[in-house]
Amino acid sequence: MTLVTGQHIGAKAHGPLPRLSSAARRLSSAAQRAVLEGTWFRYLTGTAALLPALALVGIVVLLATKAWPAMVVNGIGFLGRSAWQPGSTYGAAVRTDGVLHPTGSDYGALPLIVGTLASSGLAVLFAVPLSVGAALAVVEKLPRRASQLVGMFLELLAGIPSVVFGLWGTLSFGPVLARDVYPVIARHVPDVPVLRFLRGDPGYGEGLLTAGLVLAVMIVPIVAATTRDLLRQVPDLQKQGAVALGMNDWEVARKVSTRWVRAGIIGASVLGLARALGETMAVAMVSGSLLGTMPLNLYGKMGTVASTIVQQLDGAFSDGTGFEVRTLAELALVLAVITLLTNVGARLLVRKVATTALPVGRGI
Amino acid sequence: MRNNYFVRPNRSNKASARAVLVGATAGALAMATAATGLLGGVAAAAPKGSQATSAPTKANETPPKARLDLSETGSTLLYPLFQLWAAAYHKHYPNITITPQGTGSGTGISDASSGTVNIGASDAYLSPTVMAQYPGIENIALAISAQMVNYNVKGVPASVHLKLDGGVLAGIYEGHITNWDAPQIKALNPHVNLPNEKIVALHRSDSSGDTFLFSSYLSDTNPNGWGKSIGYGTSISFPAIPNALAEEGNGGMVTGCAATPGCIAYIGISYLAKTEAAHLGEALLQNRDGFFHLPTPATITAEAAAAYEQTPPDEALSLVDDAAKAGYPIINYEYAIIPPKEPNLVQAEAVKAFLYWAVDPTGGSSPSFLDAVNFQPLPTSIARLSAAQIAKIKG
Amino acid sequence: MKEPSELVEQPLDLYGRPSWGRRLASVAGWGACGLATMLVAAPLVWVVYGVVARAVPHWHWSVLTTTTSAVGGGLANEVVGTLLITAGVVVLAGTVGVCSGIYLSEYSKGRVGTLLRSCSEVLAGIPSIVLGYVGYIALVIGMHWQFSLLAALITLSVLTVPYIAKTTESALRQVPTAYREGAEALGMSQMRTMTRITLKTAVPGVTTGLLVAVAISLGETAPLLYTAGFSDNVPSLALTHSPVAYLTYAVWTFYNQPSATFQQLSYDAALVLVVLVLVLILASRAVVARSQRYSDVSL
Repeated sequence: MTLVTGQHIGAKAHGPLPRLSSAARRLSSAAQRAVLEGTWFRYLTGTAALLPALALVGIVVLLATKAWPAMVVNGIGFLGRSAWQPGSTYGAAVRTDGVLHPTGSDYGALPLIVGTLASSGLAVLFAVPLSVGAALAVVEKLPRRASQLVGMFLELLAGIPSVVFGLWGTLSFGPVLARDVYPVIARHVPDVPVLRFLRGDPGYGEGLLTAGLVLAVMIVPIVAATTRDLLRQVPDLQKQGAVALGMNDWEVARKVSTRWVRAGIIGASVLGLARALGETMAVAMVSGSLLGTMPLNLYGKMGTVASTIVQQLDGAFSDGTGFEVRTLAELALVLAVITLLTNVGARLLVRKVATTALPVGRGI
Repeated sequence: MRNNYFVRPNRSNKASARAVLVGATAGALAMATAATGLLGGVAAAAPKGSQATSAPTKANETPPKARLDLSETGSTLLYPLFQLWAAAYHKHYPNITITPQGTGSGTGISDASSGTVNIGASDAYLSPTVMAQYPGIENIALAISAQMVNYNVKGVPASVHLKLDGGVLAGIYEGHITNWDAPQIKALNPHVNLPNEKIVALHRSDSSGDTFLFSSYLSDTNPNGWGKSIGYGTSISFPAIPNALAEEGNGGMVTGCAATPGCIAYIGISYLAKTEAAHLGEALLQNRDGFFHLPTPATITAEAAAAYEQTPPDEALSLVDDAAKAGYPIINYEYAIIPPKEPNLVQAEAVKAFLYWAVDPTGGSSPSFLDAVNFQPLPTSIARLSAAQIAKIKG
Repeated sequence: MKEPSELVEQPLDLYGRPSWGRRLASVAGWGACGLATMLVAAPLVWVVYGVVARAVPHWHWSVLTTTTSAVGGGLANEVVGTLLITAGVVVLAGTVGVCSGIYLSEYSKGRVGTLLRSCSEVLAGIPSIVLGYVGYIALVIGMHWQFSLLAALITLSVLTVPYIAKTTESALRQVPTAYREGAEALGMSQMRTMTRITLKTAVPGVTTGLLVAVAISLGETAPLLYTAGFSDNVPSLALTHSPVAYLTYAVWTFYNQPSATFQQLSYDAALVLVVLVLVLILASRAVVARSQRYSDVSL
């Protein structure tokens, strides 16, 4: 929006006003005040728009400077090692490459990265078919009232804090699964080398599969709401053409609608994946919090990057050299990079159309 | 003329110059008075007895009158006692609220090091590295506590106490001994009917002083095995055996062991009532002289007595596995870890007052508090060391 | 009006395949979708039922008026703390976010605008625990603020500003240019046009963004664990050196304490949170319904 200039509207100079263009200075005093206000407002809002960028730079710089000494000592093998040994914190500290750390300290993030990717992958595996099916039913089949009810359910599901999901997972869902579902699966899976991961002791309901299922419940709102919005935008012409060719409504839904929004569904799944990757509290409560080793089987305890940071950070300074704090910074950096790549992938695949009252894209 | 535009006549120059001078002096005087008033006020807030003597007296147990919010975090072993202390102290002095949290000794040490808490609680003394990195940090002994080894074995009633030693425990946690009827356990308990049940070894998932005590015992009793390969600390890498389980906090160890048949767990003695309610067995542990004991006031005091003279002024000493015939091997000082500098003078005075009260045998160290958690009070010599450290708390 | 599928003869399709196969597939397909809808709705019912069944039988209203004490007590300080943090985030993140949205929609040109928007998107994708770590190291320890309200507010605001900015920008872009042109013709300054005309029209969209901020502050735990700390006292308005209690702390910490009193507090806190979220959802629906009734701008 540009200001009209070049008009001598009662030119009365009241002394020099700062930062007005020569054209603007020829305006009336009221108009000059208006221009000034606009300029100040522009600077104010510009500063506000700059703050997220500055915050991002600050976060990256802080993490990088904190993590760099740990990256030097842990090396690139950090991403491929299975270990979590703080070392002899009561013994002497040693220097490796100029970095102080306890003797025998050995950190490896492989089980955590695998745990993060596996639990999030399981979540997407379970959530996407359910969400697409529910979205199809809501858009194509269900009457308006039922659709609104399901929509409200989705919003409520999106808004419930993740600690409440963790509480439910560890007190109700996990024990029920461990008692009734896992033993059935474990018993009936054939003892073939490939499927051995699905056999074994079901435990008490805290582990990889439970974490995956709880995460699935948490990302269903995002995927379902996005798919529903996408399905609503399939052009009627396409659907009517299909009906004219003799397809019944299920075939229209399956062969036309979902085909039309296929890229969008993939994008929505990646969005859900990004949400699941960053999830901390519910996973910390139902994953069993294992450090340093891979889960033994599908039901076994495991740890994720986020749950490890939240559980280890409060005791990290008891390592007087500060090395554990730096390793946690390195983990935070790894997590930030993984989620960044996932988010970039999601943005490339879908442009979100938010028509829900409460944007369910934000996870909590 | 243009260059006279801002030059005033001489008369008004002098007058205005004088006005400026007077105004500036007045302002400077005002600021100086305000500054002294402020500093004086802060100093006045501290009680007159801030240069108190080292011994706890009624005078230095009285906290400042200001409404204060103190935070405590750390050891789950000390947490039940701190809950009783916080409630009682708040009743005595309603203006002081102490918020206790049971988060594990590692967090107690960590938060005290970084200065984010007023009092950190820990079963483990500070490592030399932490003391070097944060000069002025103190670990102040408050009481003497002990650690039990509990188990949940089918067919062994709670009245029968299994005999266990460091070698067997290390074998269990390393995965060499997998069943309750293993020959090593049978050899120690010939008259007990042990079932062929798998042992589930529970350990702490959080950074824990109980882990420190247990791993110290295993290291002392197996110097060439556990001591060399795994060692001791608040956070150690327990061997990854198929039948291991991790729990959070002493409370988690109790509920976890109660829910897991065949489990063995190390639990702090302040949870004795809970383990008895859950019908968990309590083991007789072998001390350095070869005798098996349960943690009772007599055995705890006997073991601690062997270490009183060796306790250094900074009170950082392990009491585990001392040479005492009638002593129970896993005992420790319970420490309050104090940051190098409290946030301000008033809070430092309040922390000092509270700690003096805590180590006072007529205050926090009276039997009414310590018996509820099965702790033993500090003897006078150690209490004097603690009081000397309390006096050094800075704000 | 007949269903489109009814206009076609059912018995044989164009390829001569029997129709019962297609009908079976249709029934099976929609049945599966119905099952999927049930499976999507059921966990919500289970979660809410689990919370309500554990909290309501032992509920007493004094939980909301008593503070947590060393041996039990209530949730008064947590409730006040949550509301205080939420209000603070709405003010802080709301101001920065709305101003940022205004700049991005009204003033920014091509390259700079895209850059700022991308930075905002990247910031939105950073997991909350990473922000909690940075807040802990930089603000609580680095700036010596200790566990404090200001550290919590700044960390949550960094989390929330991208959403508010995005919602504000899209809401402002939907205000018809005719409004702005009319205001300019009347000689109003940019700031006045913005506050008196454009923002007023975009209020429903902006409110939606602010409601996201409220939802986030209600439900977040990981960043608050490391910036707000915990206290048994009702929080004072002190910005630094004074920890603040909040409801999600009670759920996270008290549920596995060996004390039945604390476990009950954990369930009670979960109940209060679910009720607050329900109120929030209803409020946001009311805002959208009202906006669609009174304005010609659809959201």
